[in-house]
Amino acid sequence: MSLFPVFQTAGSGLHANRIWMDAVADNIANVNTIRPYDQAAFQTRWVQVQSVRGDSNDPVGVGGGVQVVAARFGSPEGVVHYDPTNPLANKDGLVRAPDVDLGDQMTQLIQAQRSYQLNLTVIDRARDSYLQAINIAAR
Amino acid sequence: MGAINGLLGLVTSVQPAASTPATAGAGALTSGGAIGGVGATPGTTGAAANQGFGDVVVKALDGLQSVQNNADGLAVKAATGDLNDVHNYTIAASEASLATDFTVAMRDRAVEAFQEIMRMQV
Repeated sequence: MSLFPVFQTAGSGLHANRIWMDAVADNIANVNTIRPYDQAAFQTRWVQVQSVRGDSNDPVGVGGGVQVVAARFGSPEGVVHYDPTNPLANKDGLVRAPDVDLGDQMTQLIQAQRSYQLNLTVIDRARDSYLQAINIAAR
Repeated sequence: MGAINGLLGLVTSVQPAASTPATAGAGALTSGGAIGGVGATPGTTGAAANQGFGDVVVKALDGLQSVQNNADGLAVKAATGDLNDVHNYTIAASEASLATDFTVAMRDRAVEAFQEIMRMQV
């Protein structure tokens, strides 16, 4: 158990939220990615996280933060568009666009950003608290 | 009088340990074993307490060194562009700075206690 365990815990939160923002960025970057009708569309990326078991030496038993365990993928069907001018269109003029909901992605982005800031705040406050504890009765 | 002797023994045996972390701030830390000499030469009266404080100091120095090594490694990674997460380095640097502050504070308190005893009229 480290001397200042809160940094690892909050750091894991920063990491998870950074990955989340990466996933949202990937989704938004590919919002216009068109695939041929006979191929799978770009699949929306979702990040799956789970809580981390705390240090086994820790008598209190608080957890050790959060970790990203997997990326999950949305519908491969996508949205079928009629776009006969597209070079990828089949003989019926159909292509697959990704089923990415931009509104949902922007909401997720805000959530991820705020969660990231929350963890930064935890680190900031914890650091202040530790410093004050170190300076107890200092001359 | 016995109590004062015990206290003096404790403080004199603690004093070398307290002076060791002074090098910590300069980053010239060797392994925690370097101050094993403190535990190896216990004061006659404060032996038990000396072991306790020595252990604390050794543990703190070990922790400080590993934290600083971690921060150093991440700083190199940041410089070479191998750093995946910006916050990994800043957190490690912050932790290293806190650990250094903590060790220095511990040194200061020990030295302060020693000087307080030395000012005593006998």
